[in-house]
Amino acid sequence: MLSIRGLTKRFPSPQGELLAVDRVDFDAAAGEFFTMLGPSGCGKTTTLRMIAGLESVSDGAIVFDGRDFARVPPQQRNIGMVFQSYALFPHLSVFENVAYGLRTRGMARPEIARRTDEVLRALQLDAFASRLPATLSGGQQQRVSIARALVYRPSMLLLDEPLANLDAKLRVQMREEIRRIQREFGILSLYVTHDQEEAMAISDRVALFNSGRLVQVGKPRDIYRRPATLFAADFIGQANFLPARLAGRDAAGAKLTLPGGTALVVRHAAALGAEEAVRVPPGADALVMARPERIGIGPAGAGLRGRVLRTQQLGGCLRCVVAAEAVPGEITVDSWHARGEPAEGAEVGLTLDAAECLAFLRPEATA
Amino acid sequence: MTAAGRAVPGAGRLTPLAIGAVAASIALLFLAYPLASAVLGAFVRNGQPVAYANLTLANFERFLISASYQRALWHSLIAGAAATLLATTLSLPMAYALARVAMPLRATIMGLSVLPLISPPFIGAYAWIILLGNNGILNNLMRQWLGFGLPSIYGFPGVVLALALSYFPYVFLVLQGALAAVDTHIEEAATVAGASRWRVLRTVTLPMILPATAAGMLIVFIKAIGDFGVPSILGGEYQVLPTLIYYQIHGFFNLNAAAAIAMVNVGLTLLALAALGWINRRRAVATVTGTARSASRPVPPALRCVAIGYVWLVLVVANLPQVVTVLYSFSERWGDTLLPSVYGLENYRRIAGELAGPAFNSVVLAGAATLVCLVFGAVTAQAVARGRIVGRWAVDLVIMVPFVLPGLVIGVAYLVAFNEGPLVLTGTATILVLAYFTRRVAFVYRSANAAILQLDHRLEEASSICGASWATTMRRITLPLIAPALLAGGILVFATLIGEISVTVLLYSAKWKTLTIAIYEYLLGNDIAKASALGTVTIILTLALVAGASRLAGRNMADMFR
Repeated sequence: MLSIRGLTKRFPSPQGELLAVDRVDFDAAAGEFFTMLGPSGCGKTTTLRMIAGLESVSDGAIVFDGRDFARVPPQQRNIGMVFQSYALFPHLSVFENVAYGLRTRGMARPEIARRTDEVLRALQLDAFASRLPATLSGGQQQRVSIARALVYRPSMLLLDEPLANLDAKLRVQMREEIRRIQREFGILSLYVTHDQEEAMAISDRVALFNSGRLVQVGKPRDIYRRPATLFAADFIGQANFLPARLAGRDAAGAKLTLPGGTALVVRHAAALGAEEAVRVPPGADALVMARPERIGIGPAGAGLRGRVLRTQQLGGCLRCVVAAEAVPGEITVDSWHARGEPAEGAEVGLTLDAAECLAFLRPEATA
Repeated sequence: MTAAGRAVPGAGRLTPLAIGAVAASIALLFLAYPLASAVLGAFVRNGQPVAYANLTLANFERFLISASYQRALWHSLIAGAAATLLATTLSLPMAYALARVAMPLRATIMGLSVLPLISPPFIGAYAWIILLGNNGILNNLMRQWLGFGLPSIYGFPGVVLALALSYFPYVFLVLQGALAAVDTHIEEAATVAGASRWRVLRTVTLPMILPATAAGMLIVFIKAIGDFGVPSILGGEYQVLPTLIYYQIHGFFNLNAAAAIAMVNVGLTLLALAALGWINRRRAVATVTGTARSASRPVPPALRCVAIGYVWLVLVVANLPQVVTVLYSFSERWGDTLLPSVYGLENYRRIAGELAGPAFNSVVLAGAATLVCLVFGAVTAQAVARGRIVGRWAVDLVIMVPFVLPGLVIGVAYLVAFNEGPLVLTGTATILVLAYFTRRVAFVYRSANAAILQLDHRLEEASSICGASWATTMRRITLPLIAPALLAGGILVFATLIGEISVTVLLYSAKWKTLTIAIYEYLLGNDIAKASALGTVTIILTLALVAGASRLAGRNMADMFR
């Protein structure tokens, strides 16, 4: 098991110190596919590089299976790493690239050949063993780099945006491939990406980073349904935010009044952070977050009144962009109902699925 | 636990310290110590030990009272300045023609333009005596056809001519680079605005390349005032600071006086260098942006012919000494005809018995120094490029100082420091190898540094992750990948060391006589035939090596000297 405790990285910068990673804590279990997700500059890659030992640690601890990594150089951590640029050794053949980690371990020649061939076969690279990396396609290079990282059976696999250099279609293919290989080898994998869709698709758990802080750790479904902060709600998936007034609180949840007077009882209410509170329009106590598929759309009358601005067919679902009365901005609604779909310009009523809505309350309103 | 308290991972904790320590001890022992000894020695009378009570300005007073000292200082300044002016005057039209006129054989032209840098200047200097001396070939031909000859080439005219033609590539390369980098849109804008070709040149192009011109001129000046070979061959009675140093040592073995003259020489160099730094800082602000577009514009055919003719004329004149040396070595009679009248290998037969020793010495000394340069250059370049080093100042010192100091000054400093005291090295091969190393390590360092900076640092990280130690990563990943650049730098070092004279002439001993010293002795003994044969061997050897290095690095020969 990997335990990260209070991990901090400060970089010197002209404006004093730059806090790249700020007191990050999490645990990742053996065999888990654990993804660090966040916008660029959020500290996820720096965290990964500290775990690899490629970056010094300013503060905090990295403990793996009871072993404190503080004094362990990267060579002795027994980890595998896949780089965004693949970092294949351009002067060595595919075979030699993959065998590299076995040679550094001083393994006997026949054993090196056997193990390397085995991994090359597992990744369908056996046909390219004698080629130089430059003669391979991006996807093949990617597989070589994964093979090189796995061949010496590391106790942990680190992947730093491994799909960023591939085109969209290959990216989807490769991420399934990575997931399959990871399951096959049963190895704890730490995966860094800025692509939330990718993270949601392949991870056992996701750690969401923002400006050096860990925002939330959880299963993809939990983060999607119960984002801990406005940032998490906004960064992952589509979300609508409606300003609301707090009418009261009881055991059932927070009683909120939406613009136009619609009442809503939201069971899951979180307090807003100081910075996030700024995004709540003046006059409102809270923001109600509703996913597009959790808003019902029907003939005008029930719920929020609005008018359909435009529609968009996304596969089986119809996306309607609606301007609702007294609500700033636009509301996105995904409707799966085949019949009675609203046309552009139609007057509609929007109903929120209270059980799947979240309220972010101003701190003073929470009290 | 703080960031400052930990070494950067991947290098281990000792490596950066070790590299820093080695760099620091080399900087201290083989640069700081000799230079400090020379500085102190300059303030002590000949024969007296260095002590506070013995400190005196007597050695410098000679610049106030001795006419020969004053003349040497003045000659250094005036000949250096004149050579610089001549080199610039030759280079400016040449660089402009090359940058703006479509020309066949550009790569050949660039290659030929650096030949004067590759062949040792003092060998070429003698060729000017063969051509223009009192009994020179061209001089005789002129007397025959025109009825009058040229005035004596010895002294100012010969020194200036040979220095300018030996070192003009430095200013030419800088100018050519600057002109190639000028955004031609700016010139076109001026043309469209109604300016004539000449007006564009005068009001737009020249002002833009002015800083580069000044920088190139200063490099030529520094090289010219530090050169020993040319004035020692062509100077005659015309002494300059380096020859004055040489005679103080070889005539009187007065190291203290030599050290004082060396200090004055260094002072001039430092002044020029300060000016260069000042210009470079201003240059950074006025940097011109480059375009990928070809800068050649349509030019009237007549003008184009003039441009091409001029470029080749400069190339031929600048390379004439090398050609004459080679021709002379293969001639058995060369009197008053344009070309030798009888060709043969007699000169080579005469040196055959005397070639092996000096050639062996040159190869061993240059080879050993090159090896040391390679190891030190590669390791420090890697450490510096990856930020894993303690004591960067030491590396900077080792890398920069040789550019600042003329060879003769390093020679004097080594003589003063290692002639007596704790470490006596005079007369050994070691002192030559060390002096060569300090003079040339920058070549390897710079070429390795550039190669490593181009290398993705993740390759080295990937290697560490795979379990490789710092040494394994260096051996299996870094070194193989920068090997071509290293080898090219190494060959350049080796080639230029084969032709080295200014350090060698002070530090060699009978046992370690090099090719250049053998040539120099032949020249002093007026055995031009043997000198030219040995000179040809040296020229061809160095040329072949540099050409090989440039092929290896995949660069034009001219780019190896930028």
